[in-house]
Amino acid sequence: MQRYVCGMTAALLIAAAIGVVWASGPGVRQRHPVYVGARVCARCHAGQNSEHVVSRWRTFSQWRASKHALAYASLWSPESKEIARLSGIPVEPQDAPACLGCHATAYDAEAWEKEDTFFLEDGIQCESCHGPGSEYIDPEVMMDRERSIMNGMKMPDAQFCMKCHNVKGSHIAVLKSEPLDIEKELKTICRRAEDHADAAGHTSARHNPASTIADPPDDPIQAQHDYIGVMACAACHTTPARGYQFSRWRMHRHAHAYAILGTPAGVEMAAREGVDGNPQRSPRCLRCHATGTGLPADRFSSGFNPTDGVQCEGCHGPGGAYANTDVMRDEQTAHDAGLRPVAEQTCRACHDNAHGRKFDYEAAIKMISHATPVEDDANYATVPRYKTPVNMAKSPNGKELYVACEASGSVIIVDIVARKVVAEIETGGQPNDVAFSPDGYRAYVTNRLDDNVAVIDTATRTVLRTVPVGDDPHGVLVDASGKFIYVLNTMAESVSVLNAETFVETRRLAASRSPWSLALSPDGKLLAVTNNLSRFVEFRTPSVSEVTLIDTERGEVAHRVAVPGANLLQGIAWHPSGEFALITLNRTKNLVPMTRLLQGWTITNGLGIIWRDGTVDQVLLDEPHMCFPDAADVAISPDGKIALVTSSGSDRVAVVDVAKLIGMIRNASTYERELVLPNHLGKPTEFVVRHISTRNSPRGVLIAPDGRTAFVANALDDSITVIDLAALDAVERIDLGGPKTITKARFGERLFHSADITFHRQFSCHSCHPDGHVDGLTYDIEPDGLGVSPVDNRTLRGILDTAPFKWEGTNPSLQRQCGPRLAVFFTRIDPFTPDELSALDYYICTIPRPPNRYRPLGGELTPAQRRGKLMFERNVTNDGRVIPKDNRCVTCHFAPLFTDRTRRDVDTRMWLDREVEFDVPHLNNIYDSAPYLHNGIAKTLEEIWTRYNPNDLHGVTNDMTKDQLNDLIEYLKTL
Amino acid sequence: MRRLRDRGIEGSRDRWRGDPIGCAGIGPHMACRLAALIVVAMIGLPPAAQGEPPDMPYVYTKWEQFTTKDGLPNDHIFAVKVDGDRVWIGTEDGLACLNKKTGKIKSWREKDGLPWRVVGAIDVAPKTGDVWLGLFGGGLARFSGGRFDHWHQLNSGLVNDVVYGVCIENDNVWAATTAGASRYNTVTGEWSIFTEKNAPMEEIWNYGCSYADGLVYLSVWGSGVLEYNVKRGTWKDYLDPDGEMEIDLYRDDGIVHVITTGVTYIDKTLWVSTYFGACRYDGRHWRGFYQHDSGLPSDFGNAARGRSAIECWYCTDKGVGVVADFPSDTWVTYTTDHKAGKGKAVVQRGKKIIAEITTMPNLPHNYALWADFDGNDVWVGTSKGLGHAIGEGYYPGVRSANKTSHGLQPVRPCAGGGSVRTRGSVATTDQPLKGATE
Repeated sequence: MQRYVCGMTAALLIAAAIGVVWASGPGVRQRHPVYVGARVCARCHAGQNSEHVVSRWRTFSQWRASKHALAYASLWSPESKEIARLSGIPVEPQDAPACLGCHATAYDAEAWEKEDTFFLEDGIQCESCHGPGSEYIDPEVMMDRERSIMNGMKMPDAQFCMKCHNVKGSHIAVLKSEPLDIEKELKTICRRAEDHADAAGHTSARHNPASTIADPPDDPIQAQHDYIGVMACAACHTTPARGYQFSRWRMHRHAHAYAILGTPAGVEMAAREGVDGNPQRSPRCLRCHATGTGLPADRFSSGFNPTDGVQCEGCHGPGGAYANTDVMRDEQTAHDAGLRPVAEQTCRACHDNAHGRKFDYEAAIKMISHATPVEDDANYATVPRYKTPVNMAKSPNGKELYVACEASGSVIIVDIVARKVVAEIETGGQPNDVAFSPDGYRAYVTNRLDDNVAVIDTATRTVLRTVPVGDDPHGVLVDASGKFIYVLNTMAESVSVLNAETFVETRRLAASRSPWSLALSPDGKLLAVTNNLSRFVEFRTPSVSEVTLIDTERGEVAHRVAVPGANLLQGIAWHPSGEFALITLNRTKNLVPMTRLLQGWTITNGLGIIWRDGTVDQVLLDEPHMCFPDAADVAISPDGKIALVTSSGSDRVAVVDVAKLIGMIRNASTYERELVLPNHLGKPTEFVVRHISTRNSPRGVLIAPDGRTAFVANALDDSITVIDLAALDAVERIDLGGPKTITKARFGERLFHSADITFHRQFSCHSCHPDGHVDGLTYDIEPDGLGVSPVDNRTLRGILDTAPFKWEGTNPSLQRQCGPRLAVFFTRIDPFTPDELSALDYYICTIPRPPNRYRPLGGELTPAQRRGKLMFERNVTNDGRVIPKDNRCVTCHFAPLFTDRTRRDVDTRMWLDREVEFDVPHLNNIYDSAPYLHNGIAKTLEEIWTRYNPNDLHGVTNDMTKDQLNDLIEYLKTL
Repeated sequence: MRRLRDRGIEGSRDRWRGDPIGCAGIGPHMACRLAALIVVAMIGLPPAAQGEPPDMPYVYTKWEQFTTKDGLPNDHIFAVKVDGDRVWIGTEDGLACLNKKTGKIKSWREKDGLPWRVVGAIDVAPKTGDVWLGLFGGGLARFSGGRFDHWHQLNSGLVNDVVYGVCIENDNVWAATTAGASRYNTVTGEWSIFTEKNAPMEEIWNYGCSYADGLVYLSVWGSGVLEYNVKRGTWKDYLDPDGEMEIDLYRDDGIVHVITTGVTYIDKTLWVSTYFGACRYDGRHWRGFYQHDSGLPSDFGNAARGRSAIECWYCTDKGVGVVADFPSDTWVTYTTDHKAGKGKAVVQRGKKIIAEITTMPNLPHNYALWADFDGNDVWVGTSKGLGHAIGEGYYPGVRSANKTSHGLQPVRPCAGGGSVRTRGSVATTDQPLKGATE
């Protein structure tokens, strides 16, 4: 074993030395340091050299048994999943950059930046704090502290530690943990380091680098070696499907069995049992504290590491012959190849009377249980999975209703006659809309979390395939010919046009901002698209939103209808005459203080009439004392006489007499149509003939071709309301089969989408945060003067750990943000009760944040992104001037949230601002939340620096060339 | 900058400015009388003199002109782009669109939302129909569904606001600017910049760009022509091998001069204009053209607009020189003598003039900046209006003079109004060209 260790150590260090990646830059070739992994550090710091035992043991062995080493593995736990949920992370914590940023080392490094000796699964390793080690790992360098630092070794301080150890609301909520006393912790760590330094100095003369260098690792799975090591197993056994077996092992004492021998307790125990010297070199100890003890070195592959303690092969036998995936998949074949079933005797060989302790086999086997799939934890039982139906489509034969259900990731099929659910098809992440081919053989569903469209065979009710489209697809529709599928890429602000036969994207048309839903004109020639967000407008000017008209024959944008003063254009339906389409809209008065709510017109809700010639009329659906918040969708009866409009904020459907509406408009003067009707709260009574109550948060609405029945998707009730159009009344509730219990999160979600909390029910949280995101507006909130302190609306996705809140950073918690402050400045009626507030905050925290569209986890950076990363991390200007630490990008915007959660003066104060310092925003998915800066004055990322950083106080950027700034922005998009 | 700064202003105000009733303005009878101005000159004794007329190229004898009187926002025409029934026109003070069906011109100035007054380049994205505008000093704009979107060096990754050329490559938009070339990916939103850092640009002053067959070509002031292979992401440069700025030391050894102004790649053939002559490259052989040995009216080229492997329209400061048939070195040179009120088309083979046709004015102005093809027709932007060459019976290459059924044949009689078109003013011949046999 010792021979093996020495040989491997020598080779590893040589490999690290020669394996340095060279990065070419203009002029000078520079070494780009790469990560070598803790296992390489262990060659010197694991205590194999008996001459300087204790201190070196402590360095590696104590790390191995520490929480740092377990940081990655701990992400498998139910607690971690709950924390992730509270952070709006819709993927496994072990796959989430936001988690890995503090639970792993080099999570964002590219493959070429990591040696084969490096394993993400080793958690927070030496290089997390000391920087990538390739340039200083050479023992000759390491012996000289100054030289090590010159070669890139960092010596972190408390501030550095706090980047991860700062208080996080999500962790406190779940773990009930106390804030970390970092000074105390640092003293402990520093003491170890000092011991280490003393020992290093003491032994330097005798140090033999060759004895600490190992061979470079090759393929860890080598049949010619018996033992391949646990990291080879980890390649497959880390996933949920494999029961997180690696992580569960890592969290168990088996994984620390070797390391424990290097701790004072281990040494003491060994001494008590008569072992002299280093127990990590004692065959007697190692027999049960390591794997493969006593075997010749050639029985071990280079990937095997004895410091991993009692590994998989300690119980299951050497894996060289059975580790191959094909073999492992067949139990008998694996058995024949040497996979050993574990029997009681296997355990008793070591545990019987070990250190004088009695061994309870039954209890022990439960402790190490690692069955697949993982058993549910009683404390964190499976979260109820609601349906959340949002939009619907009727099959061309009129028999079935396909309902896109966002929360369940499925489409639910309802038999229209029987009014029963007949099937459910899983389609992907957050389905939003559904459409049929004209022949009815195919249905298409947008999965906005997955950026694709699921193609369903309606006969077999199976998903045939998914087709990639742009970011965050919402609406989908098939043209009249059935040849093309139009998909609205909401975050990419575009429309994908897919060939319905080949599913190849033939073209991508520019929409406006946040295209939402779409409707085909009766003659099939025009496709009208609503856009949820206003176009960019000049600072402190009203919104101008857009309905994009697409000529389906040419496949081109024919016209862009501007809708002044409006935003949140969502639902749309064409009148059967083809003369006009109706859209739902908000009219948000964001330029005056929100306390004008008392005057009843902070946010008004209504309809737009988009005439075929491109002109627009607007009317309100609000009435005095009873508004119509969050008009979400509209449908027009086949005879064109009535229109149904859903109000997701007040759980109602408005029945509009279309003839009266149009008549009123046509009888109005030009002045009235432009300036009176769009804001007149008294007019709706002239054309709204009835309000019909629904269940929670009605969204999509659909009228059957016979004109007798309408269906409304109640998003937060998991149901469909059936409306009898003759009686104009709700006659039935179709249960879509969601959970019957209302969880805290669901309760909070209902509160979030309800306008009951607002004076006159004008708006809900959702009104300004559709999809939990932004409405793209800059608000004047407080009554401190007209236009004073304008603030850009910020996303709610993943905000819990970014406290404090508000651009001015004055609200320390969400409870404060959504409690009294909301009542004072926004809603103007009694605030939420404590229970309501707690539920609302809980829900807000769980709003999922989409994956980054510019870089999948662990993906290679593009050349531009790679160059941009260097700009982001640079500390000298192009002409060699040192950039002050406080003025570097990474100082304030560090991983994983890319905010230091402080307030800073970055020279962005403008004449309307009260404050000088503003909250440092996080940069996750920064590309999808324009405009930027506290007052939303920067429409693009570029403008932050080309227009609003004249004095280099928001990072030093004015020396950058244009291509460097482009690169920086390309990198920012990956965060 | 130079192209605009050096814009020619010679010539008097165009008397042949367009008129809604075509020949009106000069009057139908006037049109017929002017037809008598046609002079066919036989110069030298080409083969025709010995009995066989020389092969003749198609000569555009019908032209119409459009100026501010017809609704253009400005007469300084920098860019023309034909898009189906629409002709997009970039001027010094606005964008215009001529609807060929209705004859109506619609225009946009800054007050109408155009982000910048000078529209120096236009291309239309084939997939989306969006119109992309290179704004001289104002960056890049997209005109889509009546909405202008604006990208400039402050709000985007565009390298510089002085944009000379625009071309569409797949989902990318290329902009040739005074500080390098920019490429904007309309799907991902990524901007790329190409300068001396990452492309073989000795100078970064990009004048023009064009795209075809997976290759983007940039004409760069001082760096010749650069070819970017889209699939490979690699560059190739075409420079003047003799390296001489003042003389072309070795004839046909490469590009004639590194100060290039325009480039078109079509049918595997590269056509290049420079301020010191023009040239053609077929992938193996270069061929240079100069005023003194070809139909180029001037060595000062503003644009090279290739129509095929054998035909190219060179827009110069003294007229338009058309390589009508490269294999036979046959040229047609179009100029207008505004003082005399006549247009002229000179047909020559190499140095030899075969025919000289006097017509009504053809080019609105001899300072030609751009041309675009429209089926058989050609649109030419000049510093004093837009010219429309009407190619009824157009044929590529040359034909036996006996078989040239059009271009040199009389137009239909001016009964009641000459060669009447419904828009612009028309100039035409009404005598058959007899060529050298006359």
